[in-house]
Amino acid sequence: MSHFRFEGREISIRPGQTIAAALAEAGELALRDTRSGAPRGVWCGMGVCQDCLVTIDGEENMRACMVKSAPGLTVTRQAFPGQTAARSIGAKPITAGDLQELTPEILVIGGGAGGLSAALSARFAGADVLLIDERSVAGGQYYKQTAEGAGPPLDRQQREGAALVADVMASGVQIMAPADLWGAYAADLFFVTHNHQTYRIKPRQVILATGAYERPWPVPGWTLPGVMTTGAMQTLWRSSRTLPAKRILVAGNGPLNLQVANELAAGGANIVAVSEAAAGPGLRTLGSGLALALSGPALALEGAKLVLALKGRGIALHWATRLVAVEQGLTGLRATLRNQLGQDIFVEADAIALGYGFSPANEIARALGAEHRHDHDKGHLVCVRTAEMETTVPNVFAVGDGCGLGGAPAARSEGLIAGITAAGRLGRSVNVTALAAANADLKRHRRFQKALWRLFDAPEPGLSLCSADTLVCRCEEVTKAALDAALADGSPSIAEVKRRTRMGMGRCQGRNCGPLLVAHLAETQGRPMDEHAYFAPRGPLKPVAIGDIVSAGKPR
Amino acid sequence: MSLPSDIDVVVIGGGIVGLSTARALSTDGRGVLVIDEGRNAGTNANAGSLHVQMQSRFLRMYPDQIGNLEYSLPLYPRAVGAWQQLARDLKADFELKISGGLMVAEDAAQFAFLKEKAERERALGLDVHMLERNELMAIAPYLGDAIYGAELCVTEGKLNPLLANSALRRAVLAQGVVIATETIVSALEQRDAGYLVSTSRGQVRCKTLVLAAGAGTGALSAHLSVVIPTVAEPLHMNVTEATSPLILHLVQHADRMITLKQLGAGQVVIGGGWPARFEGPQAFPTVEPDSLIGNLSLAQHVVPRLSRLRLIRTWAGVNTTCDGQCVLGALPGHANAFVAVPGDAGYTLGPLVGDMAAAIIAGRDPGFDVRPFSASRFA
Repeated sequence: MSHFRFEGREISIRPGQTIAAALAEAGELALRDTRSGAPRGVWCGMGVCQDCLVTIDGEENMRACMVKSAPGLTVTRQAFPGQTAARSIGAKPITAGDLQELTPEILVIGGGAGGLSAALSARFAGADVLLIDERSVAGGQYYKQTAEGAGPPLDRQQREGAALVADVMASGVQIMAPADLWGAYAADLFFVTHNHQTYRIKPRQVILATGAYERPWPVPGWTLPGVMTTGAMQTLWRSSRTLPAKRILVAGNGPLNLQVANELAAGGANIVAVSEAAAGPGLRTLGSGLALALSGPALALEGAKLVLALKGRGIALHWATRLVAVEQGLTGLRATLRNQLGQDIFVEADAIALGYGFSPANEIARALGAEHRHDHDKGHLVCVRTAEMETTVPNVFAVGDGCGLGGAPAARSEGLIAGITAAGRLGRSVNVTALAAANADLKRHRRFQKALWRLFDAPEPGLSLCSADTLVCRCEEVTKAALDAALADGSPSIAEVKRRTRMGMGRCQGRNCGPLLVAHLAETQGRPMDEHAYFAPRGPLKPVAIGDIVSAGKPR
Repeated sequence: MSLPSDIDVVVIGGGIVGLSTARALSTDGRGVLVIDEGRNAGTNANAGSLHVQMQSRFLRMYPDQIGNLEYSLPLYPRAVGAWQQLARDLKADFELKISGGLMVAEDAAQFAFLKEKAERERALGLDVHMLERNELMAIAPYLGDAIYGAELCVTEGKLNPLLANSALRRAVLAQGVVIATETIVSALEQRDAGYLVSTSRGQVRCKTLVLAAGAGTGALSAHLSVVIPTVAEPLHMNVTEATSPLILHLVQHADRMITLKQLGAGQVVIGGGWPARFEGPQAFPTVEPDSLIGNLSLAQHVVPRLSRLRLIRTWAGVNTTCDGQCVLGALPGHANAFVAVPGDAGYTLGPLVGDMAAAIIAGRDPGFDVRPFSASRFA
């Protein structure tokens, strides 16, 4: 068995494990210290939160969740603020004109369910397609693929994804991955950094399929190492076949939590409890359940099976409870679950998965100026689109959860529609039958999704579960009390709150605290929750090393 | 919020100049209302360099303004002093550091240009020194192999503008100044001995009016038929994630557009006047990717260790340009309306210009011959 070193300790590696996975398996959940000296570990597990930064072979600020383990690496825990390696020779200055330019007919951004199906349908129509994704293995969050060498596909969901990825690879779609798209300046002007080199991309049509990331859940203790999103925990298992701990608590809102609890249990974890914020099946939700069964009988059945499977495994499923606090005990993390009557259940676990819904990753669409509207039911911005999935910016299409949550099956249909339409714009023949079928499927998927939301409807706590010292901004360590102090003086706009508190100025670039703050300002100041309520979108869309941004030449 | 109907002084512009003016006038015992549009520009988008030596960018871009720049040069060391005084007065730590500023040269010709510049600056009272490469590396080991030498200006420095602006704002509020944000002025009229100010939140009458709105000042003075040709210049800015102390000085270049400095919390701010643009009907200051590439490329050339540091955010700041000199004093033809727009490096000059404006309004000596700063020069 091969290994790398972490803080002098030998860490064994299994094939396909990320640095974060190998460390978690070795019991190392605290990966760095913040400015205040607090330990942090994996939170989002998908490259968004920047909480799992470690130093790898002298290069600081590497996301442990995104980097594959390799034998012989030296990984060290990072103290704030890190240290850049010494070097005295800088690269010769370049101008934007020196960058290599790519001119695909269609650029697809994101290799999840929506992006893969968009790329495939556009390619089938004969278009020249470039697909870029942040991860080295396409599939996105829903089809989350097993990393190479980690094992065979786990289930139908992964097999379906593997087949789709294989189809895309065989179709002649060009794939650039892992690649960071950091600049979106116009419908025909993008910048992407791949393998330490930056490219300017000037496509004729663009399809955004950027997906979603999990919402923060600001309660006391939510930043402790071992507390991570349900998606992060699922990635550890599905991609790397790694359980972060033996005793796991899963708490959240929505069916993903039930699925992941079962998957982890099947993988050998001791699921100490599952907490679901929704009220659970009953008379009130009979109608939604019925609608679910009618619009998606197979999925509805699978959902019912999830609940039964938990029961079969003897796992306690607490409906109508939510996690309100976590503290570090002597023998593990102590979580408090509270029901609607205010009664508490105390649960001890070594790791906690939190899955309280998703935020659309709409940074690129917003940077391009595509119009968005606030959807009160979904609680987030929804991209304004035509029936063909075109945004208000001509030649920019958007599909899937990035436009407002809709689920992976809908994303696939939307991807098909966008891919066929974008190729049609380029003069390729339009497969009318496929288009009609995709539209019919989409209608059904949307009905299903709507019923699902009603079934899992639960009140939003906003910042009401925070205590004074709970962090509302993980990156800049802004407490609820500090936010309150900033708000006490006048009715500051979101930009002014940002300047006063530094919320949104950290490494996650406001992805976690932004939506929380928008909702809070709406609640406390009555500000409208439209697209202007959010932090102004500013590049880079992800943090990228300066040397990579300005590298036009060959890879190092 | 609703506006008071009547007040001694209305200051239009809630940036560093407007707040400094308001603070001084309020200390004099006047009731002051500050009206601000709440745009992310000017002071709000400033990066906190304290400039003293002449910036090579201005010398190159506006050779006709060199005379004006040299006339104003003695103001800059005083302006840094005003910042230090402000920090003491407010008992606030906004990471103000007089760390010295380096203007680097990459070859003998650039070094010669700096040498000549330094001689003129020294004659005007600036504390500047020329450093050969070995002397330079002794104090700035972070600079790359490409750097030949530099001019050191001892009194330059930096501060954290977010902290400074907040501290000043809190102090001004504590003194009883009213600040109306997200408020847009639609008209200014002379009424009796005073002025009527019409805004998006209603009207207010005042005895004394101060225009301190940076690039927006020209549009305001036009309501009173006074020409002030302020121009908004959107400029590209970058900030990295935090790293350990690396860049100690304010760093500039003799021949190329770059400013580099590191904030107290470790982030490196990179600017230098690369162009941005205004976008859409709201004229939102917007970043140009060509500036991002050019600016960052130069940054890692000058400080190679920046190469592995990640860029977190870019934005467009808004600089005010006019003719290289302050516009300060009573508006021509108006006894009770004043203007306070600093010359180049307006943020550096802000607290000093605010104090000078308040002195002029109170009939005191501003401590500098401000006659050349009168807006009458544009008539």
